[in-house]
Amino acid sequence: MMCQRCHNEASVHLTEPHKGKQRELHLCVACARKAGLTMPEEPPDLSLDAVVQSLIVANVGELVGELALLVCPDCGIKFMEFRAGGRLGCPQDYQVFSAGLVPLLERFHGASRHVGKVARRRSGAGLRLRLRTQLRSAIAREDYEEAARLRDQLRLKDSQA
Amino acid sequence: MILDDLTKSSGEWLRGTGPESDIVMCSRIRLARNLADFPFANRASRGEKTEIESHFISALNHAKLDLSYIDVNGLSILDRKFLVERQIISRELDNGDGPRGVAISPLENVAIMVNEEDHLRVQFMLSGFRLPDVWDAVNQLDDRLESQIAYAFSPQLGYLTACPTNVGTGIRVGVMLHLPGLVQQKQIDKVFRALQKINLAVRGLYGEGSQASGDFYQISNQQTLGKSEVELIKILTDVVPQVLNYERSARQHLLTERKQHLHDQVSRAYGVLKTAQTISSEETMLLLSSVRMGINLGLIDDLSIATVNELFIQTQPAFLQKLRGTELGVEERNVARASYLRSRLSNGRQGPRL
Repeated sequence: MMCQRCHNEASVHLTEPHKGKQRELHLCVACARKAGLTMPEEPPDLSLDAVVQSLIVANVGELVGELALLVCPDCGIKFMEFRAGGRLGCPQDYQVFSAGLVPLLERFHGASRHVGKVARRRSGAGLRLRLRTQLRSAIAREDYEEAARLRDQLRLKDSQA
Repeated sequence: MILDDLTKSSGEWLRGTGPESDIVMCSRIRLARNLADFPFANRASRGEKTEIESHFISALNHAKLDLSYIDVNGLSILDRKFLVERQIISRELDNGDGPRGVAISPLENVAIMVNEEDHLRVQFMLSGFRLPDVWDAVNQLDDRLESQIAYAFSPQLGYLTACPTNVGTGIRVGVMLHLPGLVQQKQIDKVFRALQKINLAVRGLYGEGSQASGDFYQISNQQTLGKSEVELIKILTDVVPQVLNYERSARQHLLTERKQHLHDQVSRAYGVLKTAQTISSEETMLLLSSVRMGINLGLIDDLSIATVNELFIQTQPAFLQKLRGTELGVEERNVARASYLRSRLSNGRQGPRL
C-alpha cells in the first residue's frame, strides 16, 4: 500500500476518529514522523550495529547544510554513506567528519579525547593513501602525465617505508 | 595441513587452569588496529586488501613472531566454521570476502585477524581470570607489530578504527563466564541489567547477537575512548569478582536447599552424555553445563574440567565433520556427536580419541 502523502511504501497504518467517523491513515515512516506520529516503542535491539545506528540518527539527526555535503578527499566516502552504514572509510574521516562525529563520540564513550597507549610517531604516515586516491582519479580523467608523476611519488614513498 | 592438526589439539584457554577457573573459562583482550596508508577494510579494493595482508605477513616475519598464517579466503566453508567454533575467527571474518586471514600461535592464545572490520584485530586469550597477564601479552604483541607497521593514530582520538565505537584504545576486554547457578536461580537477567547499567556488554558464547548457550556469557567493555587500557581493564577486574560471588552463592543455595535434586540432575546429564546414541547440539550444551557445574561442586569426581571445556567446542558441527573428514547432515551429526561423547567420556581424563 502506498503512503497517502508521498509515493513510498506505507508502513504505518492507523485508524483515528475524524468528524464522528473512523478514518484510516496509511503513511510511510518518514511522513508519519513529519506528522508527529511517534512509533510504538520497538523492543530494544541490542546488537551493536543497531545501537550504533540509533546513536548516529539520534545525535546527527536530520542532516543540515554542510554536514550532508561532506566528502572525504582521501577515500571518497560521503558523510551520508557513513550515516547509513555506520562504518567510516579511512582514518582521515575522523578529521573530515569531525563536526558530525564528536557529538557521537561524546554520547557513546562519554569522552572525545584519547587517554592511554600512544602509537609511535611516524612522519608521512597516511600520505600514501592520499597519493593513491589522487592517482586513481588522474587515471579516471585520463591525465596520464599527472598519473605518472603520482606513481613515481608513490614508489618513492613505498621504498622509504 | 595446519587445520587438520588443530582437530588433534585444543586451545590453552580451554584447559580450565588459572584463577577462578570454576567460573571464568577464559580472559581475553583484543585490540583494533588499522594501517595508516590504506582505506578501512570495508572500503578497500581487493588489491589494497592483498597489500594489507602482505604488509602484515612481512611484519610478522620481521618482528620474528612465531605465528602461523591461515589464508581464510582460500578455506572451505567447513574450515571457516571450524575456526569460528574454536573462537579463532569471528563470524564477520567467516562471512567476509576477499583477501583475509588469521595468524595463530601454537597454543591458540594469539589470534590476529586480518581484513576483518579493521585491518588487524589482535587478540590474546588465557584460561582463568587473568586480565592483567593477558594485557601484558597483547600489549607486547602490539608493540612488536607496531615496530613494523605504521598504525592509523591521532593524538586526540587515539587508534582510528572503522567504527567510531572502537576508536581510542581500540580495546575490548572480556571474560567468558559459566553461570549455570544464576541461570537456574533465575537471577541472570538481574545481573545483566546491572552490568548494562555500568556500560558493560553481555554476549553469548559466540559473540555478538548469538544466543547464550551452555550457560556461557561473555562480559566486556563498550567504552574505548577517554579511559586508558589499564582503567578499562580495572572496571572488569572490579566487577567480575562480584558476579563470581553471586554465582557461587547461587550454586551454594542449590547445593544446600536442593542437593538431592541437583545431584540427580547432574548425574542424569552425565549419564545421558555417556550413553546417548544420537544427541543434538543444544541438548549437549545444556547437559555439559550441568556436568561442568557438577564437577565444580564435587558431585562428579571422575572427569576433568578440561575435558568438559573441550567438549563444548568439540561437539559443534564443524569440528565433528572435520573429525569424520566428510560433510554430515543434521541426523548424521547427532549420531557422530553421541559417539564422540561416548568415546571421550569413557576416557574422561585423557585427550581426544580419534
